[in-house]
Amino acid sequence: MADQNKKVRLYALSTCPECKRVKQFLDKRNIKYELIDVDLLDSGEQWVTSKELKRYNPEVTYPTLVIEETIKGLDEEAIRNALGIE
Amino acid sequence: MTPERLYEVLAKYAESQGIRLNKDREYVLEILEGLLTNESRYGYRSCPCRLATGIREKDADIICPCIYRDPDIKEYGSCYCRLYVSGEWNEEKIKHIKVPERKPGNIKEADAA
Repeated sequence: MADQNKKVRLYALSTCPECKRVKQFLDKRNIKYELIDVDLLDSGEQWVTSKELKRYNPEVTYPTLVIEETIKGLDEEAIRNALGIE
Repeated sequence: MTPERLYEVLAKYAESQGIRLNKDREYVLEILEGLLTNESRYGYRSCPCRLATGIREKDADIICPCIYRDPDIKEYGSCYCRLYVSGEWNEEKIKHIKVPERKPGNIKEADAA
């Protein structure tokens, strides 16, 4: 993706096939993303990361893909597009 | 133990339980690889689709087959990981949906903090 203006982060487990499928989906399309294999973190980092993930997904399940968009200033069209509203 | 050997063992086990392994063999082998990774990492085969604590007592409910498998198969036709499924699920007589997490309080420690 030449013009990727969204930040993409994948919370995954290295052992989980569904996580692997999401990675493949993104890789195939050349999407840049931050990959966090939570099971490979040390226990302190796992705790912090789980709390972070809970903000997006209260069930704390894997894989969870977070796609964030930043809109600078008043850009109504961008806001509409980001929210999927008319 | 290799994923292929484990596949043979668990296929027979599933049959004996009146259920099946997911018919997607490649996917199943990936799950089994995850199970074996967790076995060497933690000393037990915890669910590869869930984050284990590494403490056997705390992970008892998610040691495969997890305690949520049977109610999940009954309600949705497959377990959370889609390793074990019903015959009807394999035959696509029931819709394949994403099984919701039945395990309560995934983040108890963080909640308590």
